[in-house]
Amino acid sequence: MAELLDEPALGAPVTDAGAPAADARLPGLLLVAVAVIATCGLIYELIAGTLASYLLGDSVTQFSTIIGAYLFAMGIGSWLSKFLDGPLLKWFIRLEILVGIVGGCMAPLLFLLFEYVTSFRLLLYALVGLTGVLVGLEIPLLMRILEHRFPFKDLVARVFTFDYVGALLASLIFPLVLVPHLGLIRTSLLFGALNLVVASVVLARFAETRPYRRRFAGGIGAALAGLGALFYFANDLLAHTETLAFQDQVIYSKSTPYQRIVLTRNPRELRLFLNGNLQFSSLDEYRYHEALVHPLMQALPSARRVLVLGGGDGLAVRELLKYKQLTSIRLVDLDPGMTQLFRHSPLLLALNKGALNDPKVQVISADAYQWVRADTARYDAVIVDFPDPSNYSIGKLYSAAFYTALTKRLAPGGRLVVQSTSPYLARQSFWCVAHTLQAAGLHVVPYHLYVPSFGEWGYVLAGPDAQWRGDAGPLPAGLRYVTAGTIHDMLRFPPDMAEVPTEVNQLNNQALVRYFEEDWGPYVH
Amino acid sequence: MPLSKPWRKLLFPALMDVSRRSFLVRGGATLAGAALVGPLLPGCAPAAASLAHIQGQLLGPNAAAGHLLRDPGKIPAPTRTVDTDVLIVGGGVAGLSARRWLHRHGLTDTLLVELDGQAGGNASAGHNPTSAYPWGAHYLPVPDVRNRELLDFLQETGSLTGYAPSGLPIYSDYHLCAAPDERLSISGHWQDGLVPAVGLSAEEQAQTARFFQLIERLKTAVGRDGRDAFRIPLDASSADETYRRLDRISFADYLSQEGYSAAPLRWYLDYACRDDYGAPAAQVSAWAGLHYFACRKGRAHNATGGDVLTWPEGNHFLAGHLRRQAPTPLQTNTLAYDLRETAAGVEVLTYDTAARQSTRVRARRVLLATPAHVARRLLAAVPGHALPPAAAFHHAPWLVANLTVSGLPQGPGRPLSWDNVRYGSASLGYINANQQDISQDTGGPRVVTLYWPLTDEAPDLARRHAYQTSYAQWLPRVVAELETYHPGVTPYLQRADLWVWGHGMVAPTPGLLWGPGRAAAQQPVRGRIFFAHTDFSGISIFEEAFYQGIRAAREMLGAA
Repeated sequence: MAELLDEPALGAPVTDAGAPAADARLPGLLLVAVAVIATCGLIYELIAGTLASYLLGDSVTQFSTIIGAYLFAMGIGSWLSKFLDGPLLKWFIRLEILVGIVGGCMAPLLFLLFEYVTSFRLLLYALVGLTGVLVGLEIPLLMRILEHRFPFKDLVARVFTFDYVGALLASLIFPLVLVPHLGLIRTSLLFGALNLVVASVVLARFAETRPYRRRFAGGIGAALAGLGALFYFANDLLAHTETLAFQDQVIYSKSTPYQRIVLTRNPRELRLFLNGNLQFSSLDEYRYHEALVHPLMQALPSARRVLVLGGGDGLAVRELLKYKQLTSIRLVDLDPGMTQLFRHSPLLLALNKGALNDPKVQVISADAYQWVRADTARYDAVIVDFPDPSNYSIGKLYSAAFYTALTKRLAPGGRLVVQSTSPYLARQSFWCVAHTLQAAGLHVVPYHLYVPSFGEWGYVLAGPDAQWRGDAGPLPAGLRYVTAGTIHDMLRFPPDMAEVPTEVNQLNNQALVRYFEEDWGPYVH
Repeated sequence: MPLSKPWRKLLFPALMDVSRRSFLVRGGATLAGAALVGPLLPGCAPAAASLAHIQGQLLGPNAAAGHLLRDPGKIPAPTRTVDTDVLIVGGGVAGLSARRWLHRHGLTDTLLVELDGQAGGNASAGHNPTSAYPWGAHYLPVPDVRNRELLDFLQETGSLTGYAPSGLPIYSDYHLCAAPDERLSISGHWQDGLVPAVGLSAEEQAQTARFFQLIERLKTAVGRDGRDAFRIPLDASSADETYRRLDRISFADYLSQEGYSAAPLRWYLDYACRDDYGAPAAQVSAWAGLHYFACRKGRAHNATGGDVLTWPEGNHFLAGHLRRQAPTPLQTNTLAYDLRETAAGVEVLTYDTAARQSTRVRARRVLLATPAHVARRLLAAVPGHALPPAAAFHHAPWLVANLTVSGLPQGPGRPLSWDNVRYGSASLGYINANQQDISQDTGGPRVVTLYWPLTDEAPDLARRHAYQTSYAQWLPRVVAELETYHPGVTPYLQRADLWVWGHGMVAPTPGLLWGPGRAAAQQPVRGRIFFAHTDFSGISIFEEAFYQGIRAAREMLGAA
C-alpha cells in the first residue's frame, strides 16, 4: 500500500482549486481513512444487528431489518451530503467526531437502556438510523474533498476499493476476534475511538485546520476520554445489567441485595431467572414441583408440620397446600424481595395460587443455614429447594454439616427431599448429594424425571430408614405428572445415570462445587 | 440451569466479580470522576487515590510499658503484698497452657500476670461490627494423632467432636478451614494452591515434584534411635545426626546444594519460611525449613494432614479456651519488673500500668513464660541460669493489618479463598477472616488480615524503623500492597487497623534448634525459676507454645 501511496501521479493535485498545496501524501492518508471509516461503519451495523438478535430474538428478521434500515439511513446521509458546503475538511472532522461518539456509544447505550425504555425498538432504530445517516455522509464528503486531487475514474476506483477492503476486514475480525475477546460493548467503544483517531490525524496533518485545531482537539480529547473511561469500566457496567442474557421480553427485573430477579415472557410462557439462571418456566414447572413435593408427602400421610427451605416462588408451597391435613408450613428464603414479588404480583399469584398468602404459611426471610442451626422446632417433612451448587457459598447448603444440622430438625419418622441438579448432565454432582446425605446418617431414595425446560432432573429423598413407601398414602386429585405409576418410574435409573462413586461434600472440601464445575463446564463454556 | 450462560460468556468476557451494590455506590462515583478527569486506559492505576475515607488506628503490644523494664527506676515502689504458690509471668499461649496444666493437676494457687490488656500473646484478636479477626497466629494444622495432650485439649474446645471407629479423630466441620483454602496470583491470574504451578518450565516442574517427593520421604523417615526425623513438638524428633546436622546449614544453602534452583520453587520455600519463622530461607536452618513441611503428619477421619483448623478470631479461640479452663487469678496490664530470690522462694515486683500501682508478689516459684530476652533482663541479678544474650535470637518485627472492605475487585481465576497470596509479593498476602462464615455471601463487607514480616532489614533496625512509623505512614504502604492484589480496591476500603509486633516470633537460625544452648536455657534454676516460651523451642507455633507450658508445668509438679 505504501508504494501505491507514494506514486507521485496520485499525490499531485490535478488542479489548484483545492486547499493550498498540501503534503503530497495527504490524499493517500484520506484513502486510508476511507478504509478505517468503512471498517467502523460496518462494525456498527454488525453490532446493531447482533444486539437486536440477542435482545429481541429471531435473528433472521432482526439482521434483515437492521441492515435494511442502516443502508437506507446511509442513503439519506448520502443525499444530505449535498447540503454541506463551505470548508469540507472541517465538516469531515466534525462528522468523524460525531460518528465516533454515536457509534462508539451505540452498544453501551442500547445495552444499558434496554430495561428502562418502554419501546426499545424505537430507541434501537433511532440509533441505527442516526448512525447510518452519519456514516452515509462520510464517503460522499470524502469524495468531494478528494475530487480535485484525482481524475474522477481514479477517485471512484480508489475510494470504493478502500471502502470494500475495510468492509471485508470488519466482517472477518468482528466474529473471529472482536466479539470473543472484547465483547460487544468494548468493540463498539474501540471503533468509536478509531473514528476519533481519524478525526485527530486529519486535524493534525492538514494545514488548513489550523484556525480551529485547538478547539477541535479539545473536543476529540474529551470524547476519547469518555470512551476510554467507558471502555475501562465496561465490565462493571455489565455486572449489573444482564438483559442480553434473555431471549424473551423482560417484564420485571430487580436487583435485591441478594440476587438479580428477572421475569421474562413470550406468548407461551413466563420464565423466572435468578442471577441469569433459569428457575422455572410456567409451561412445565408443575413437573418439577409435583416431583419435588408429592413423593415425599405421599410417604408421610400423617405429616402435619412442613419446612420449606428456598422456594421463595411459593410453587412448592402451592403443591403442599393440596394436603389439607397440614397444620403449618414454614418457608425460609434468603431474599424478601423474592417472596414479596410472589405474594403481590397478580401474574405470579395466578401461578402459585396465592400460596404464600395462605394462613397456614409462615414466610421467614433468613439465611437458611444460620436459621436451621438456631431453630428448635421439629418438622415431619422438610423440602430443600436451593439453587444449584454453582459456587462455594451455595455449596455450603449441600454439605454434610448442613444435612446433619437439618436432621436434628426432623421429627421422629420425618423425612426430607433435596433438589439435586441433573443426574444426566451432572451425574457426579447428583450422586455426590446422595452420598453426602448418607454421610449425615440418612437413608436415601434418589429419583428423577424429565422437565423439558431443564432436561433430566433429579431429587434425593432421605430419611432415618429405608422403609420409604411410594404408596403409603393417597395423592391429591388433579396432579398433572405425579401418579403412583410415575413415582415408580422415577425410581429407575438407566445405566447412563446410574450411581457413580463420589466424595462426600464437606465444608472443608466443597467437593460438590468441583463436580458441578466439571459436569456443567462443557455446557457453559 | 445455566441456559443463558453461554450468551453471557460470549458477550462479556472477563466479567468482574464485584457486587452490584458496591459498584453502584463506589464504582459509579469513580466512573463519573474518571470521565471528568481524563482518559483512563486499561491497566492505568488511579493516580494517588485519596485515602481520607479509610478509618483505623495503629495498635500493638504495650511496648512502652514493656520498655519500662529497661528503666525500672521510673516505676513507683510497691504499696501492697500478695502471696502465691506459683507466679506465672506472661499470658501468651505457653503461660496459659502451664496455668491450665497446673490447675488440672491440683496446683491451684497460681497467679498469672500479663503485660497487655488481653491474654493470648501472638494469639491476640480483635473485632468490629463486620467480623472478629486475628492479630497474629490464626490456624492450627490438623495435629499428629500421637499428640494426645493437644487432641484432648481440642476435644474440650469442641473443635474435636469425637473419634471414628477407626480411632481417627473427627473435627468440627465448622472449625476445619472451609474450602477453597488457598490461591496464588501469578501474572494476574489466581491459581489453586500456593505452590506455583502455572507457566513453569519442565525443569521447574520436575524440581518442584522432586522437592515434594523428598518431603513425603521425610514425613515417614525414622532415625537410628527409632524416633521420627521430624515431629511436633520438635523435642520428640530423632537425635540422629543424619538429620540434626541439617540444623547447621541454612535452608537456602541446603536447597542450592541439592540442586533446587528453580525460581518458582525457591520463591515458595522462601515464602514458607517467612510465613512460619519471619525470616527468609537464607536465615533459617535447613532442619527447620524441612520441618515446616515434614512435620505435617496430621490424620483425621474427616480431614487430611494438609488441612487446618481455623476460626474468625484465629488462635485467640484456642487461647480463650486455655484461659477459661483454669479459674485462677489472671491480671492483665501488669508488668513484672524485678525478680529476686528469697529464703522462701522468689519475690517479684509487678506494676499495674492501668492503676499505676506496684505490688510485691511473694511466690514459692516463678514461671517465666516470656521471650528469652525479657526473662534474661528479669534475671539480671540472679545467677545460675543459662539464658543466651538477646543477640542470639532473631525476632523479626511484623505488621498485621486488618482491613474491612466492602468488596474485592476480582481478577480472573480462582475465587476468594482463605489464604490469598501473590507471587513475589512483599507481604505474605491476606487471609479472609470470614472464611468460616456459613451464611450466604451477599457481597457485604468482610475483613481480610494482611500479614507482613518486615524482613528487608536486620531485625533490630527493622524494629526501630517499625516503631518510628506512624499510622499515616503505614497506611499508604498497606493500601499499595493490597492494590497489587486487587487493582482498584482502594475505594472499597472502609477501615484499616494496623498492629506492629516488635518481636513477632523467633526464627530457627542455623544452630539454634540443636546446638547446646537451647536445652541448657530451659533448665529450671534451683527448683524455683522455670521457663516456658517458644523461644525455647526455636519455632513459634501454637503446638510448641502449648507443649512448652505443659513441659514447664510438669517440671514444677515433679519438683514440688
